Amino acid sequence: MLAISKDFAPPLKLISPFFKVGSGFYLLAMMSLLAFDATFSYQEFSIAGWIHLYLLGFVMIIIFGAMAQLIPVVLEVGHAVVDLYYVILPLLGMGTVIMVGGFWINPVLLTYGGLLVLISMIIFAFEALVTLKKAERKSLTVKTILVSNSYLLLGILTGFTIALGFSGAISVDTDSLIKAHVYAVLGGFVLLTIMGLSLTLIPMFSLAHGFDETPIKKGFNIISLGVGAVFIGALLGENLVQILGYLITMVGVVLYLYQIYIIYELTVRKEMDIWAKSLMFAFASLIISLFLGAIYLLGMNSNWLHASIWFYMIGFIGFVINGHLFKIVPFLIWFERFAPLVGKEPVPMFGQMYPKDKAEMLFWFSSFGTVLGGIALLIENDFMFKSSASLLFVGAIFLYLAMSNMLAYGKE
Amino acid sequence: MCEITKEQVFEATATVIDPEVGFNLREMGLIYDAIINESCNITVVMTLSTRGCPLHQMIKTWVQEAVEKIDGVGIVDVEVVWEPEWNISMADDNVKEALAGGTPQL
Repeated sequence: MLAISKDFAPPLKLISPFFKVGSGFYLLAMMSLLAFDATFSYQEFSIAGWIHLYLLGFVMIIIFGAMAQLIPVVLEVGHAVVDLYYVILPLLGMGTVIMVGGFWINPVLLTYGGLLVLISMIIFAFEALVTLKKAERKSLTVKTILVSNSYLLLGILTGFTIALGFSGAISVDTDSLIKAHVYAVLGGFVLLTIMGLSLTLIPMFSLAHGFDETPIKKGFNIISLGVGAVFIGALLGENLVQILGYLITMVGVVLYLYQIYIIYELTVRKEMDIWAKSLMFAFASLIISLFLGAIYLLGMNSNWLHASIWFYMIGFIGFVINGHLFKIVPFLIWFERFAPLVGKEPVPMFGQMYPKDKAEMLFWFSSFGTVLGGIALLIENDFMFKSSASLLFVGAIFLYLAMSNMLAYGKE
Repeated sequence: MCEITKEQVFEATATVIDPEVGFNLREMGLIYDAIINESCNITVVMTLSTRGCPLHQMIKTWVQEAVEKIDGVGIVDVEVVWEPEWNISMADDNVKEALAGGTPQL
């Protein structure tokens, strides 16, 4: 028999600000969508500003906060230097605001904002990699964190080079660097991180056991290869290598989806709570994104690509993150405020610690908004896109309120 | 000769609730064995529903404290094992039915 013992939870005061600030950035990102139309080019500064507001302010900040808690869970070791997370949030938050200001107001700001973001991410990646070295059990999740953080470093280095180029400090081919940067971050870091964490978290919450991990292992290797091919192909200007990279990545995503299906088939816990519903929508969005992306690669216009990225970013990433917030945040609050009371007085269950009405509102407003937005981008309908932005904005208000409620639960 | 029975130990662990699913550890089938020696020192052999559970250390402490409440008990130790791996077939029927039916345990 194999026995282990551990207790590595970081303090609530370290992690909770990530979730509060992250949900605030989500609110800002959804509100600012109201200013956009359904017709655009991804190279426009206004679009780049919004993407950085969403990806850095919401996605990265929440992922970093979640990783502060989840790295010990999935690696089964404590953080190497957990206090570094106190530095990461202010650097990343300020860097995001200044970078977005750089895109929307004055490009000179890009270098300053980019530098703060670069430093925060290097600290994060450094801490994660040092912690990884302590892990005795080299599970797939450990490998995904290693590879995804390596892509994060490549992504932010190319991103900072682009920032220097835009601000006029150096002369670079920004078009090819943008593709490499976007793919390293969205495919290399975000997707691989979600894949790795989902292999631990989804079975944990759904109580699925004894499943074959072969599809996700293959999917992980294939996606790592595909992202590498697009990254190198973009830097070298080799279109064929890039297209090959896209196709390889798609095969990997299909294998990942197959793995999720295997886990779903073995799911014991059938309760359709906000987490389960959000994941259902997220994986449906990933399938739609894959389908739209495949059609784009067959030679359709860029609307298909825009809709594909929309479903990936808002539908998949957004719902995976928001759904998990209703599991992670109650746990953190419970661990800090109620765990010491166990055996002495009645304590709440995790499921009682989030506002179900607000969570439902978030889900329905956001899901309708996501579908409507995807259709609007596909047919370039501005009115429909504004309607979608309105729905997503209302959903984001409910997320922010729900987050405030959860963080205040049981507070004296 | 120690008069504490395994059933008493299992009963004691039934007071420990998993706050995520809302069932107690005994009905979840997470308590595998209770080894009781002549001095009434007890080793509870148990597992968790998932490896790397963030409540790992805390649940061990709760089980230890629950068993220490039994009259006449000596030293209590809790050993968490991963083999055999827990699965739903180890849980009581009420747990299986509630989870499969999507009933939240609140």
